[in-house]
Amino acid sequence: MNEDTKKKVNERYQRELNKGEFFWPDSIFKDAIVALGLTILLILLATFVGVAGEPKADPSDTSYVPRPEWYFLFLFKFLALYGQIPVIGKIEWLAAVLVPSIGIGLILFLPLLDKNPDRHYTKRTMSLGVMTILVVDIVILTLISNIPTVAPDDATLLIKLSAWLQPYAGLVIPGVAMAALIALAYFAKNTSWQVMAWITGISSVLIIALTVAIMAFAPKVEATETEVAETLVDQIVAGQDLYSIHCVECHGDDGKVTVIEGVEGLEGKEVSPINSRDVLYTVNDASMAEIIAYGRPDSGMNPFGKMYNPEGLSKSEMDNIVIFMRYTWDDRFEAPQIPELFPPLADGEVPSYDVHIAPIVKRYCISCHRAGKDNNNYLMTTYEEILTTGDNVDSNIIAGDENSYLLQVIQEHEILDENGEVIIGVMPPKSVLKPNVVDVFLRWIMNGMPLTAEDAAALFTPPTLEVTPMP
Amino acid sequence: MWKKIFAWLDERLGLNDLQKNLLERPEPKGNWWNTLGSASLFLFILQGATGIFLTVYYTPSPDHAYDSITYIMNDVAFGWLIRGIHHWGATLMVLVVFIHMLRVFVTASYKYPRELTWIIGIGLLIATLGMGFTGYLLPWNQRAFWATTVGTEIAGAVPFIGEFILKALRGGTDLSALTLQRFFSGHIWMLPLVLAGLIGAHLYLIIRHGESHWPTKED
Repeated sequence: MNEDTKKKVNERYQRELNKGEFFWPDSIFKDAIVALGLTILLILLATFVGVAGEPKADPSDTSYVPRPEWYFLFLFKFLALYGQIPVIGKIEWLAAVLVPSIGIGLILFLPLLDKNPDRHYTKRTMSLGVMTILVVDIVILTLISNIPTVAPDDATLLIKLSAWLQPYAGLVIPGVAMAALIALAYFAKNTSWQVMAWITGISSVLIIALTVAIMAFAPKVEATETEVAETLVDQIVAGQDLYSIHCVECHGDDGKVTVIEGVEGLEGKEVSPINSRDVLYTVNDASMAEIIAYGRPDSGMNPFGKMYNPEGLSKSEMDNIVIFMRYTWDDRFEAPQIPELFPPLADGEVPSYDVHIAPIVKRYCISCHRAGKDNNNYLMTTYEEILTTGDNVDSNIIAGDENSYLLQVIQEHEILDENGEVIIGVMPPKSVLKPNVVDVFLRWIMNGMPLTAEDAAALFTPPTLEVTPMP
Repeated sequence: MWKKIFAWLDERLGLNDLQKNLLERPEPKGNWWNTLGSASLFLFILQGATGIFLTVYYTPSPDHAYDSITYIMNDVAFGWLIRGIHHWGATLMVLVVFIHMLRVFVTASYKYPRELTWIIGIGLLIATLGMGFTGYLLPWNQRAFWATTVGTEIAGAVPFIGEFILKALRGGTDLSALTLQRFFSGHIWMLPLVLAGLIGAHLYLIIRHGESHWPTKED
């Protein structure tokens, strides 16, 4: 830039200053208002949106689909789309390293590359156009970042179209439009600014239209929200549910078992009572979680971590079991008030699967009544399974029949065949359900096994008040 | 009394000069787009303040990081608010810094004599993204762990020196306690120092050259 232009720029700036304002109080007033607005916005976000819970990091859980922070999503998607390009798509470092580096280099040294001293937008159509398309591209790549880049072979035509359009919206159109703008700026210097603006506008609209189509045709994914126990009470309850499923068989519901009974392969194995001070005082939380994860091969403890079994327990789940053990058996810890497993029933109230039966079954039955266990093929993990599985499916649950096998065995009556042989023992095998739990099952089956709370409420018959005549 | 104290301080600190040169400096007529820079600075300070509070309870180790954040969220008085502001402040800061850059680009304020201000500003944008990247790992949850695994893998794709960068970032071949420790160090010491230094230079240049004026047909 020559001295004349510099002088002109400086003189022009002086003229603007003369009719300008002062930093204090003019500008700083606006700055303060914006700062106040941001503070309020952040407090509202922190209060009403909060920070979503996530399970603890689990290095052995390789099935987790990683997602970066949202402002890197566009780069993620760019890499995915780039990978679709034949031949050079296979050279990862081109897109992962070279393209971002060139991008950063261009933007960093922009003032040294852009020698044009003009500042008004009509005189900078090329750079403004390229930047507009770039920003549109970044925004749409962020928007479509979670739509699959490759559709499976058996997908519908629309889903295939949704995947097929992505490289055009994300790479081809922006690339061609930018190249056109740059070419015009260098080889047809007297192109009017309106032509450049039209190219920018049309390509942006095209990109956005394709994005709308991509998003409309995208396969509907249901947001799978992993529930994360965040408060201590939730953690203890989650831990107890997990303990009831995975640990009860060997350690018993109170953790005091010393000799394992009735478990295939571990019959007669001697174990330390895990509710004892010996265990609880000498093993810290981290070691306890490791024992659950890695097992203790010599003493019969199976490993439950994901490194041995992809279906195994996650890090957070094992931590919750440890928390449950601490607050239940360790006398140095004082447990908070734990809510009831199910809301108590009023006279005449009918329990539902969703509210009452599901938590009870989870706590007392699923440990054995799930796939892969010795249970006469009776599975109890869902409503359907409870009603439709098992070797004795016809007699297990009969609506309105007190002789349903399920009701008999939980009331300590064994089921015998015609020769007097036991075909179903009492349930649960090693403990007795509390009367209020038995009552829930009784009322549920006698009233036709309602699924939802609404179904159950429809069956509610309030007790008729006995009217005592006034004397 | 106050006048005397002020006079004494002014004699030593030059408060009147400061006021004249820093606060009462003339500027071209600005609009609301001109507040984005100060908004970025404000968010940086807010992130610094909430971040300092968070380090009181946060423990950068795989065994305790997750639990210490659960503790901050549930048991520390207003811990949820401090963490919430820090979490959302990060998002907002990236957004505001990016829009600030776009504004400067659109008004071509990076041109003579403000070229260096722009180059330092891009440094600030990159450092801000670095803060986002390092801070993302600290909660040590699934999302953080796997995003960082993939993120560092991308750095490992650099030809020839990729392997070295990957190991330097992770402190070994795999993500481990060392990774968490160095990301923490980067997040609370190295990058904030870089940011503070660059912000100082950025501000000095802005005061030296003044805010640019909104371009008109003349420019």
